[in-house]
Amino acid sequence: MRQLGELEAEIMHRLWAWGRPATARDVLTDINKQRPLAYSTVKTVADILHHKGMLTRHKEGRAWVYTPTCTRQQYTASLMQEALGSNPDPVGALVSFVERITPEETNALRAALRAAKRRNDA
Amino acid sequence: MITAVALAGYAALVGAALPPLLARAGWAHRTPAVAVLAWQGLMLTFVVAASLAVYHLVFAGEHAHGGLIGLLAVCGLAQGAPSHAPAAGDAFVLAAPVVVLVLPVGWLVRCALRARRARQRQLDMLALVGEPAPEYGATVVDHGAPAVYCLPGRSSRVVVTRGALDVLSDAELRAVLEHERAHITGRHHVLHLVVDAFSRAFPGLPLARHVKGQTVLLLEMVADDRALRSHSRDALATAMCEVAGGRVPRVALGADGGGSGALLRLHRVLTPQPRPHWTAWLGIVTATVAAPLLPLLLVCGP
Repeated sequence: MRQLGELEAEIMHRLWAWGRPATARDVLTDINKQRPLAYSTVKTVADILHHKGMLTRHKEGRAWVYTPTCTRQQYTASLMQEALGSNPDPVGALVSFVERITPEETNALRAALRAAKRRNDA
Repeated sequence: MITAVALAGYAALVGAALPPLLARAGWAHRTPAVAVLAWQGLMLTFVVAASLAVYHLVFAGEHAHGGLIGLLAVCGLAQGAPSHAPAAGDAFVLAAPVVVLVLPVGWLVRCALRARRARQRQLDMLALVGEPAPEYGATVVDHGAPAVYCLPGRSSRVVVTRGALDVLSDAELRAVLEHERAHITGRHHVLHLVVDAFSRAFPGLPLARHVKGQTVLLLEMVADDRALRSHSRDALATAMCEVAGGRVPRVALGADGGGSGALLRLHRVLTPQPRPHWTAWLGIVTATVAAPLLPLLLVCGP
């Protein structure tokens, strides 16, 4: 299962890096530069990504051509939104270093830090 | 009947009267771990006292002690059940107090499953966009806003954004990472789950209102203390300001505390905390252990 996830990542990384639609064959050719892998494996995982909504696909000739549905930046932003967004649900899923605070509270925090540093320097 | 009233009074004391006092107690922030234990003790005591009170109300006719053995016998816990083994009618009567026990446990299971799903989803997403940084023992995410968090559990992970790497010095970053690892090794997420489940099981109860925010804050302090063992106060405090200040503020935040917690932590990190005398420490721990046992003694005693 974990290996499947790694192959998903490999495919997404390539499509994001290339910035153009590509076939499973294109991806396989690139992966094969590093290690041998079967075409059917890449095709299967690309279809899994399609079903997960990560890739769209359309037919060109006889081959399916895959395109990422979002950019890497958008995907990262949604990850962070889920992790630390306005509704940090469910409790216990993750533990953040400091909670979100308002600008006024940030100023109070920085003032307290400055005051403490002055005390130490004096 | 008197027993039932006494138990209900005890449950009210623990569930409503004590929580505001403990939330304001000065010693709590000096020994956060002990305070976390005290809050856990209050929750356990409330559940024990409330379920026994309910049990006594519905079971007023029967002798208390025999009834309790009957209860245990139903659960298959007590050997040699009393001669008047509980009949089918008793099962219905027993259901009422059992609800008080099942309610928080049910919520705990539900919260745990939900948290695990959310964690798994985070791990799946991180597999696509996280870059391992073995020199820090963390996963780096290419995101502008500074943030650091950990995914606890079996495949635990500390996540750092590129924004956090940009604003934090090496010493500050290492202090933050130590703080996060303290959450993981201390299994703080389990305690988060327990207080979350409790506050959902008994909404409106003052204990439920206080215990969640307090436990979360106290566990942050425990992790701060842990980081301060091997890192400077200055590094951790500066890191706190940098990470908190660079984040998008949460709008429409409810009553769950907000940033005052960060300010409390910062003051605490900057000024060394005198530890309470060991007798005070012993007293609190003893009270915490004794509190849930007291109603049992009341019921089973001579």
